[in-house]
Amino acid sequence: MSDLFADDPEWADVVPIRQYENVNPIAPIFYSEEYKDATDYFRGVVKTGELSPRVLKLTERIIRMNPAHYTAWQHRYKTLIALKADLEDELRLMDDIAKQFLKTYQVWHHRRLLLTALNSVDVAVLELEFLRDVLADDTKNYHTWSYRQWILAHFNNEARLWARERAYAEALLEEDVRNNSAWHHRFFVVFSSGVRLGDEDREQVLRRELSYAKEKIALAPNNPSAWNYLRGALEFTKTPFETLTSFVEPYTTPQSPNAADVVDLDNPLPSEQAELPCVAALEFIADVYEERGGEATSKAVEIWKSLANERDVMRKKYWEYRIRDALQSS
Amino acid sequence: MGSALDIPLHVKYIQSLGENKDDLVYHLTAHLRMNAVYWGLTALCIMGHKDALDRDETIAFVMSCWDNEAGAFGAHPDHDAHIHATLSAIQILLMQDALDRIDVPRVVKYILSLQQPSGVFAGDHFGEIDTRFLYCAVNALSLLDHLHELDVEKTVGYIRRCKNFDGGFGAREGAESHAAQVWVCVSALAILDRLDEVDQDTLGWWLAERQVPNGGLNGRPEKLEDVCYSHWVLSTMSILNKIPWIDADKLTAFILSAQDLEHGGIADRPGDLPDVFHTIFGLGGLSLLGYPGLADLDPVYCMPADLIESKGLRKGWEALPRRSLT
Repeated sequence: MSDLFADDPEWADVVPIRQYENVNPIAPIFYSEEYKDATDYFRGVVKTGELSPRVLKLTERIIRMNPAHYTAWQHRYKTLIALKADLEDELRLMDDIAKQFLKTYQVWHHRRLLLTALNSVDVAVLELEFLRDVLADDTKNYHTWSYRQWILAHFNNEARLWARERAYAEALLEEDVRNNSAWHHRFFVVFSSGVRLGDEDREQVLRRELSYAKEKIALAPNNPSAWNYLRGALEFTKTPFETLTSFVEPYTTPQSPNAADVVDLDNPLPSEQAELPCVAALEFIADVYEERGGEATSKAVEIWKSLANERDVMRKKYWEYRIRDALQSS
Repeated sequence: MGSALDIPLHVKYIQSLGENKDDLVYHLTAHLRMNAVYWGLTALCIMGHKDALDRDETIAFVMSCWDNEAGAFGAHPDHDAHIHATLSAIQILLMQDALDRIDVPRVVKYILSLQQPSGVFAGDHFGEIDTRFLYCAVNALSLLDHLHELDVEKTVGYIRRCKNFDGGFGAREGAESHAAQVWVCVSALAILDRLDEVDQDTLGWWLAERQVPNGGLNGRPEKLEDVCYSHWVLSTMSILNKIPWIDADKLTAFILSAQDLEHGGIADRPGDLPDVFHTIFGLGGLSLLGYPGLADLDPVYCMPADLIESKGLRKGWEALPRRSLT
């Protein structure tokens, strides 16, 4: 029982066009029967400019076999628009393709076109839900994340779209505190895309964010994403690094056996299993000393030396550069 | 200590691409064919075996991908024009000394038509936007000597908006920093002489942090190392004159260990199957690290350095000195 378009009487009126036969040896073509058949008929309908329901069937077959076939996606989209098709139905139809081929650019671009055409916050809400599903399988998928960020910025709806994003990033970090994409998303939501509803008190926001970063650093000190976030928040708000010295200092020495009796919420201590001192903390403190200048410079140099020779030997030349640079300026 | 670079084997590997490969897989990658030829040819040039691919056949293939309606090149015969394929076509023709085959005014017009109001470029008229395509546009216009037609402020303005809190750049405004996107943004800025837009120390440090204990490089914090980052990360560091911040010996050993010493080619990491994409980027990394027996690679254009220099397009990047064969 043939599934081929060539054997389907509904397609008898279409002239299939073979792929470039007298092929240049530098790019020879090999086929599977089904793919060859579908793309032959595709070339046929592209040539005649047909934009019909059966073209939707044809392009769907192609993209399920080869999601990177961008011409098939383009023609499909043109067909959907020409037919005034129900684009929400199209989104649902494409859901399993998105989940299967989530690393393919075209899958996401198609959805973006549909969202743009539908221009509906209701649809955007559903789409953000759908993306949670996708990200549950691949928590760091770059395309999915940047598509999510586009939806938020494009529709820019505080109550219905932005409102739950910080909590979402937080939930993901609860599962994996080292998820750099989730850290990035949090920064995107809190700092780099304007002021969220309820976040008007920027000082309160900064306190909250610093507290959050510190808490996560305490949980897993050797986590570059958390430290990058901390630095980013300080730089963005032009807060001197110096103000975090008492928090960072315990991370620059090997674990003290006698933990403090009083828990200081502002300065959470490293968890017991932490590998200390951690490189990022040493780097941070050295930056503080360098910024202070004067006598503190030599303390920075000592730290950089220990990093170069012991703690982060892989980046020895970077630490030696910091030493030279600081000594030259002083 | 580890294996040396087996140049003759990799040359044979590139020559064999397209012959006797798994049928469907080869066809499913038709949308990348122009890029694949560019990667293969550049790799051959770096290995000093440019003539391993027939010049006339290569040129004929490129020209067979001309989309006369659009005035640009597609990835494969009968594929619609795309900016990435167009760049690869230009690069191939330049390496084959056949740039005169291009209808420059039409191609320039096509490229410029893809710039969006925001300053980013789309990949084609279907509209997918990405800083990769911005780089393709800037690079292509530069190689065609038509960079003066670009609205530089508008283009640089978009890159600026893609700069993140860690000093890196993403695919679009708001997107996470990723080493490949960092490379395209920094290289575009280098071509436009606007490296002043980069926080060079912060970014240089972020890039140095991509090196993981086994010597390989990753693309984002807490992700796996991959040979292709030997290009994205290392080339960017070369442009910022910070290659010394990477442990060169460990990275060299990592790249060499990802060679397929049976069939040739380089894979994303040791033990995996090779492909031409990882082959050129592994070789590019080795070249920048001064590995003996390789030609210089220009990290801004990812093309032979002497060729770029002859066009007067060399920027102020620095690679490690070439070690001699012992």
